[in-house]
This record gives sequence, structure tokens and C-alpha cells, in this order.
Amino acid sequence: MANVLNKRNFCIIAHIDHGKTTLSDRLLEATGAVQKREMKDQLLDSMDLERERGITIKSHPVTVRYKHTDGTEYELNLIDTPGHVDFSYEVSRSLAACEGALLLVDAGQGVEAQTVANATLAVNQNLAIIPVINKVDLPGADIEGVRHQIEEILSIPADDAVLASGKTGIGIGDILTAVVQRVPPPRWADYPQARMLIFDCVYDAFKGVVCYVRVFSGSIKLNDQIMMMSDGAKTEVKEIGRFSPKMTACAAGEGLSAGDVGYITTSIKDLSEVKIGDTITMTADPAAKPLIGYKAVKPMVFTGIYPIDTSDYEKLKVSMAKLRLNDAAFTYQAENSVALGFGFRCGFLGLLHMEIVMERIRREYNLDIISTYPSVVYKVKLTDGREIEVDNPVKMPDPSTIDTISEPTIEASLHIPSGSIGDILALVMEKRGVCGRTETIDGHRVILHVTLPLNEILIDFNDRLKSITKGYGSMDYDLADYVASKLVKMDILVNGDPVDAFSCIVHEDKAVGRGRQLCAKLKELLPQSMFKVAIQAAIGAKVIARETLSALRKDVLAKCYGGDITRKRKLLEKQKEGKKRMKQIGSVSIPQEAFVSILKTNT
Amino acid sequence: MTLSRQSALGLYVHVPFCARRCEFCAFYEVPPRRADVERYLACAERELAELHLPRRAETVFWGGGTPSILAPADLERLAGATLGASGGTPEEWTVETTPATCRADRLAVLKNSGVTRVSIGVQSFDEAILAGLGRLHTTAQVSEAIGAVRAAGIGNLNLDLMFALPGQTLEEWERDLRTAIAAGPEHISTYCLTIEESAPLFARLARGRLSRRTPDEEAAFYERTWDLLEAAGYRQYEVSNFARPGYECVHNLNTWRMREWAGVGPAAASQLGLRRYANAANLARWAEGVEKGAPARTDEVILDEATLATDAVVFGLRMVEGVDLAELAARFPSHDWAEVARKASELEGQGLAEFDGRSLRLTRRGRLLADEVALEFF
Repeated sequence: MANVLNKRNFCIIAHIDHGKTTLSDRLLEATGAVQKREMKDQLLDSMDLERERGITIKSHPVTVRYKHTDGTEYELNLIDTPGHVDFSYEVSRSLAACEGALLLVDAGQGVEAQTVANATLAVNQNLAIIPVINKVDLPGADIEGVRHQIEEILSIPADDAVLASGKTGIGIGDILTAVVQRVPPPRWADYPQARMLIFDCVYDAFKGVVCYVRVFSGSIKLNDQIMMMSDGAKTEVKEIGRFSPKMTACAAGEGLSAGDVGYITTSIKDLSEVKIGDTITMTADPAAKPLIGYKAVKPMVFTGIYPIDTSDYEKLKVSMAKLRLNDAAFTYQAENSVALGFGFRCGFLGLLHMEIVMERIRREYNLDIISTYPSVVYKVKLTDGREIEVDNPVKMPDPSTIDTISEPTIEASLHIPSGSIGDILALVMEKRGVCGRTETIDGHRVILHVTLPLNEILIDFNDRLKSITKGYGSMDYDLADYVASKLVKMDILVNGDPVDAFSCIVHEDKAVGRGRQLCAKLKELLPQSMFKVAIQAAIGAKVIARETLSALRKDVLAKCYGGDITRKRKLLEKQKEGKKRMKQIGSVSIPQEAFVSILKTNT
Repeated sequence: MTLSRQSALGLYVHVPFCARRCEFCAFYEVPPRRADVERYLACAERELAELHLPRRAETVFWGGGTPSILAPADLERLAGATLGASGGTPEEWTVETTPATCRADRLAVLKNSGVTRVSIGVQSFDEAILAGLGRLHTTAQVSEAIGAVRAAGIGNLNLDLMFALPGQTLEEWERDLRTAIAAGPEHISTYCLTIEESAPLFARLARGRLSRRTPDEEAAFYERTWDLLEAAGYRQYEVSNFARPGYECVHNLNTWRMREWAGVGPAAASQLGLRRYANAANLARWAEGVEKGAPARTDEVILDEATLATDAVVFGLRMVEGVDLAELAARFPSHDWAEVARKASELEGQGLAEFDGRSLRLTRRGRLLADEVALEFF
């Protein structure tokens, strides 16, 4: 077991695509943790989906041994962190497990929104920050410019920034040296009682609930009686081990001690009972104070998820339960929709989180699903003084009983090329945003600080930001206050009957436009029937948009004689089957495809 | 359950040969090679001889293909075999022809054999449209053919016409109709162009060289047709069929009434003795089956009362006279007629049908939507 002074715990923080995972792979290779030929590209991103999207969703720690030029062998714990804003709580817990951070900046892209957000988190955790300018081998590299940005925007001295390339391996040795020399040895190691931080938690099909822990003080081994400090829950260590880089159980009698990173399993069966950010201590001699505060993560974005084929409901239910095992931030509960049948109301940290979960249901469980229009959590003050939270438009109370509706807002920083300020401001205005201060990064880039309603960025904000800035813009945000707003629930009616799946909460000023779009789209998608169908958008009893689908005038086979009867019968059977799959809303049959198209286009 | 009254049995003979494939046609047909014709005739004779109908067929229908493409001697052979099977001279005997093959020599043989009704596949009187459809005749040939039928002394003539053809305007169609009326046939069938996947036109459609008409456009053609023919004294009796009173095609009426019919020849369908089936739609396979004494059949269904009752309503509603629910209830007593009556009242409420508690008939709007209505009963 290494001396605590010879251990270093560090992480890599970066904006998406700045090369974090590739660089991590190089570090592992250089320290011999994995042989080159064993390496799959991007070893740490173990989910296919992560590898495909080039993003890390879950953090995976790795312990490596590194023989420094001074002859001493160091134990380095590298904690990879998710790069996306949806997972900033997880990022902050991972940072808390470290003493230092490599701040990776792409030499061509420069400092971006998440670089700033993550650097700020690291500074707040008092981590030693080592700037690394990556991809210096690429033709577009502007090393001086990036150095300047790091100093100007992040106020971090950049003279001693390490120049590196994860792709070619340039600077890997310099990084390792910097980690040993500039990252302090494990802190708080002399605290009298044992304290360890749960910085992540996963569900393993064989081991069950696995907690990733960083030991700050004391030690922990098999069969220790431990206590979770947030709620005093007691349990026992069933397995203990390290990441080298695969999970490897400690040898008999051995365990983890101050400065170590590893994993434990306990008698806890349900992932939701483990709180990321919680402090573990020993039952026999508990610590008086936890390491850092534990914060429950709350889902911010909600949507209804339904099986396209209603008979897949049970399968969907099973898949949700399995996903939840692995992802405590994902919540779901059964709901049913007149239009879509039985499904689930699901809560997510953000949009990316939502996309990832839906994609996993589709892929890993092979299910066809449809989601309703995403919603945020509204706070509704009723005329009788009560306040309720509404995450589903269908549950919005009658307008006459509502005093005010408040919606969550975000404080966003948009990093954009100076040339696109005008178009971005127009986008922000369109999305009901308010622009605060503007910072200039350099001659080409600015940061706009804006306040936006969360529900306005649910659909296409990021896509449009990217398209306006030709991919150069980026965004980061923090949740801000709830703000009272003139929001209304808009219903879509077909022949007077509301279609619950299409109900949405919109700002009063946008209701007519959106109502018209939805009605027009629906007119296009609904098959003509024997009757005229009125398609209306309404707020309460007030119709704000209307389209009429005229009645079908002709549907009859021209030739139908003795020889055509069997074929005609088969056709009728097929049509009848098709009709069964349609949803009956009052007198109108709506094909499943119409729901899918409307909900997909998010007009 | 009674499938039929003693009086309603039809005999259908399919003659699969055509001079060439028409662009709109999805029927089974092959070019008339002599060896094939010989084999066909021999097998048709044998199938007819082995048919052993339960009683006399009161109607006979030769369809195709093009029955009149057969040489006079071949026609005589087939007619002899048909009469052998039908159990005597039928009251109505229809033969389908094309203008180019509807000639005096053949008509004489047919008239002699007892044919009472000749149908000519005119499709259009417009030369440009005819060319576009890949037809082998000219408008002059149509006139000659009509003259030949009359000269042969056949008193029941039908003209088959098509509408909503590629490029056809309502006015052009109206002109076609007026020309047909002027020719004075007893019966006119008008078919809205339907492009089936097996028809050559479908390929043009798929390649984007042809666009489908909207239901609204087709409805306009239908309504114009119905108005015009009605005004000219042709009573509509089915979605696509019109006749001077007393000249309705009894053979076809009996199929919509779910009576019985026996089919001979490749692709011919039968509904006989509570079974519904079709002969293999391939000359060689059909012939082989007949030669081996093991008929090659497809789509065989054993008919139960519910199926027949439903079909009697669904297909019966194509007829202008509609269906007599009391009569059907007597034929198929176990069916849920209360449910049918409930649906009927609903349709009446929607202006799609007229229902007096016994007789149910579609209104004009209902008839244009007969397939949607059918779904209600299915």
C-alpha cells in the first residue's frame, strides 16, 4: 500500500469534444494500465451509446501506478467526469473526490461554455488546476490565443499550461509530471475518524449496487460495519476493490485507505437508497461531520413515454425498472393517456438525459416508443391560496381556479462568435429571454449572459444556437428562480374532443401561432373520413385556431364481381386491423402515425 | 342456412387470352399461342364436363381475357361444352369482347349457340386516350363492332367505359358518355380507373410519370356519370352499372346477392356448396390440375353463416336496390341482425343510407363511400 503522500487524485474537465476521453486513454496506456492492443478506442466510455455520441455519461475511475523521474512510484487515481450540463451535479461530486484537475482546452476551439462552467466548479472545490492545451498538432491550433483566453476568461495562469495531443501522445509525460508535482497529496487524511465519499454509484448485473468511493481518512475493508451519514443507514461491506482499470476485488485482509479510490458493494439492493455525494463512516466510531453536503438531484424535464404497440406496456415497464437501477436521477411513474393508452410519466435531469434514456429503451430493450411534448415543473398558485406543482399539462387545473403560474428559468451563458450576436439576440428574444451583460473573450468571441424560461430551451434552442453559429456556439446554464409568467394550457380538439397527448403549456403570446401550426399539421396528417372534422386549438373554452378537414367524398371499388370478393374481404380485414390500431377520440379515429409525426416534429 | 334459391346459379368461364396487355388491366391473361389455346380448350371441356352442377345454371358469363379472340370453331367447341355443363340453354349468356374481335363470323357462332348478351370493352371513344391505354382498336372499329352485334341479332349490348383516365378532363369524359349513349346500348358499365399493382400503369405511377387523382376529383367524375346516364334513361343498379329497365345483368346481380356461381378456367372464382375458391391464376398450373384430376385451387374458404350474411350486406349495398334485411335474416337466421339494424340506423342518421326497418339502401353519397360503409358491417 502506497504512502498517502505518494497518491494523487485528479480528474479531467473539458467541454464536449475537446478530447478528454482520448487523452485519458493515452494516460492509461503510458502508465501501462492497459496494453495498446487491448485498448478499444476510448476505453473509459463503456456504454456503446457513449462511445457513439463521443460523450461520457457516467464517470469511471481508474487507478494506475506511475514511476516518476525521481524514482518514486505514485498511485494515480484518474476520475473521468461527464461533460454535459445535465450531469453537473455528478461532475461536482467527482471533482470533490479529487485534489487536482486537468483543464483540457482544445487548441482550435478555445475556451467554451462548459470549460468555464467546469473550471468554476473545480475552483470552488479548491482543486489545483493544470491547464492542458490539447490537439496542438492540428493545423488550426492557436496556442497563444488559447493561453490568453485561459488567463482572461478563467483567471488561471497559463504560462505553465501543458501542450498536448491525445491523438499523437505529445505531452503525455509532461502531464504525468505535472500531476505529481502540482496536484497536492490527499487532503483531510488526518481526520480522526474514517470518512469516504460516494462519488458515483452504478448497478452491476452480477454485483448489484456498486458504490464508487474515495477514502479521505481512515480505512475500510471487507465486512466492515459502515454508516451512511445522510440518513444514518447502517450496512456491511460485502465486497471491496479497486479499478485497475477493471473492477478487481482486494486481496483477503486488504482494503482501501486514505487517498484511495475504489468500489464497495453492501447489502443495499436498491440504487435509489444510495445517495451520490453521501459520506460513509464506520458504525463503531462515526465521524462528527460529513465531507460535503449531500444534495438530492431533482428531475427538471418531464415527458410521457408510451409504447407504440400497446401490448409492449409490460416490456416497457420492465425496461424502465432496469434503467432506473442504473440511473437514480431518472424517475418514472405509470400514467395513462386517452390518446396513447398506458405509459409512464418520466423525469430527467435535462434534455440530453432524456434523449439518452429514450435511446437506451429503443436500443437495449428493442421497444418502439413515443414521447409526449416535454414539460418542465410549473408552480401553480391557486385562488384558494394553495400552491401545487404541475409537470404534466393534462394535470393543469381549470384556469378559473388559477391565480398565477410560475415557471423555472435558467441563467445561461452563450459563447458565440461576435458576428452572430444579432441573430442570437433575436433567438433569445423569440424564446422570451432577457439579455444581461456581454463579455468579450477576444476579437472573435463573446459571452452573452441571458435569462431564459427553461421550457423555451426544451425543444430546439441548442440546435438553433448551433446552426446560427455554424457549430461554433456553445451554451451552459444553471437553474435560476421561478418567475410568474402569463402561461396558458392549450388543448387540441378534434370534433370538440380534446386529445390529451397534444395538450401543452405555452406562453399566452405564443399560443395562437403554435395553435395554428399544430392544427395545420394535424390536418395534413389525419386521414379523411366520412365526416368533416374540425381541428381546433383552444385555451379553456376559447378557440384560438381552427382547421377543417373536409369529408372524404369517394371510397368505393370500381369493379367488384364474383372473382373480387375474396380479395376485397382481405382488404377489409386489413383496414379493420388498421382501424383497431387507431385511437378513437370521440367520433374521430387518429392513426398512431399521426401522433408520432406531431410529437416528433414538435412544431 | 340457405345459400341460394333454386333459381340462382351462374356459370362463369374465364378465357385467359388477349392480343396484348392493356395498360390498366390486372386480370389474368396470356397471348393466344395455338398450343396454349388447344390445351386450354381441352381442359375447359374436361372441367365443364366434370362440373356436375346441382341444377341448371340460369346465367352464363364468358369473361376474360378476351373470349372473342378465339376462332369461330374454338368458340363453337367451348359453347358446346358450356351448354353441356349448364344443363340447358341459359336465360342470360354474356360474352365479353373487344372492338377488334367483335366480328360477324364469331358473333354468328355465339348467337347460334344461345348467347344473349355481348359486352364490348370500348373504354374510351377518344383516340389519344385509347393510344395511351395501349388498346388495339380505333373508334372506327368500335362503331363496326356495335353494328356487327346488332346485325347478328343480339339484343342486349353492353359497352364498358372507363373514366378518370390519365389526362382525361370531365368534359372529355362527358363526350365519351354521350357518344356511348348515342350508340344506343341496352347496358353501360362505367369504371373509375383503378391502378392495381399488377397493372402496367402502376409502374408509370411508381416512376412518378402519372399522378393519382384525389378522391374528390374521382367523386366529381362519378357524379357527372350518374347524372348523365340517369337523364338518358339508363337506370343505375350498381356502383358501376347502368341499364335500360329489364336489361340488368342477372349473372352479376346474383353474385352481389351472395347466390352461387361455378367458375371454369384459370383464375375463375366459384362460390358453390358453402365453399368459395378460385382456380389457379396460371394457365399451365390450372391445366395440369385438370389433366391430373386434381384441381389447382387457391383461396379456398368454407363459408359459414356469419361470413355469408356479412358479405350479403357488404356487397349487396353496392346495388342501388340495397338489401332486404328481412329476407337475409330468413336466409341466415343466426346472424346478429339487431346489430346490423343498429348500424343501419346510424348510417341513416349520417345521411349515408335510407332504412325503413327492413330495406337498407345507400344514398348517393353513401354509394360513393360504399367501402367505408362496408367497414362498419365488417
